[in-house]
Amino acid sequence: MSGSEILSTLLGSEVRGDLLVLFHRNPGLIDTVDGVARRIGRTTVAIISEVRELLVLGVLRQKRIGASEVVFLDRAKDRELLESVANHLKTIRIGEER
Amino acid sequence: MASRVRESGWNNSLDNFESVSKSLSPDQRFAAEKEFSVVLVSTVREAVGNALGRNVLEILTSKGLLDDASNSKEFDRKLELLFGNGAAVLERIVVKDLNRKLGIRYDSEASFDYEKSLETARETCFMESRLK
Repeated sequence: MSGSEILSTLLGSEVRGDLLVLFHRNPGLIDTVDGVARRIGRTTVAIISEVRELLVLGVLRQKRIGASEVVFLDRAKDRELLESVANHLKTIRIGEER
Repeated sequence: MASRVRESGWNNSLDNFESVSKSLSPDQRFAAEKEFSVVLVSTVREAVGNALGRNVLEILTSKGLLDDASNSKEFDRKLELLFGNGAAVLERIVVKDLNRKLGIRYDSEASFDYEKSLETARETCFMESRLK
């Protein structure tokens, strides 16, 4: 997947943006999808498909703890993906490069 | 910083902004503009850093994205060149953070206009200056 495609997926919706900010601000966060939805002030229904996109990308991972399915940030994968994004952005000129 | 929660009704805000801006002395206006610029740039830095990490933020800084973040049209143009459709998501993150800092209500269901949202935030900063 190219840096451009990763970027499009990460910023594919406002909810995905909110999820990124939540997990980057709280990189150790482990919570159910319901809990994550509450933390960003949305409903489970509103975020479920967005969480799925981030799971497919690999930035989030899922595991079972007791009776609950929880999601958390895969820090290594997140670093790797953001590095690809950074490398992609380096190649774009916006006219006032130093 | 204001802790009151305000409605970000846009219809009245341009008129209010004009009258608030005119009621300030040049010094107060300069200070208010400066204060707003500082708040905005720090919010943009936090928003981009939190969404896409420090490396991306550094690259954007080196590309001059934050040189004139108060110029919403120019910022919008640069952001779109870099992020395409993702620019709107970043702008929403910026406005959400900015509104939280200034005590302005943010409605994610409402239609979104970055420039208008910044004007509302600027007006709030000017109001704060007038009350000081």
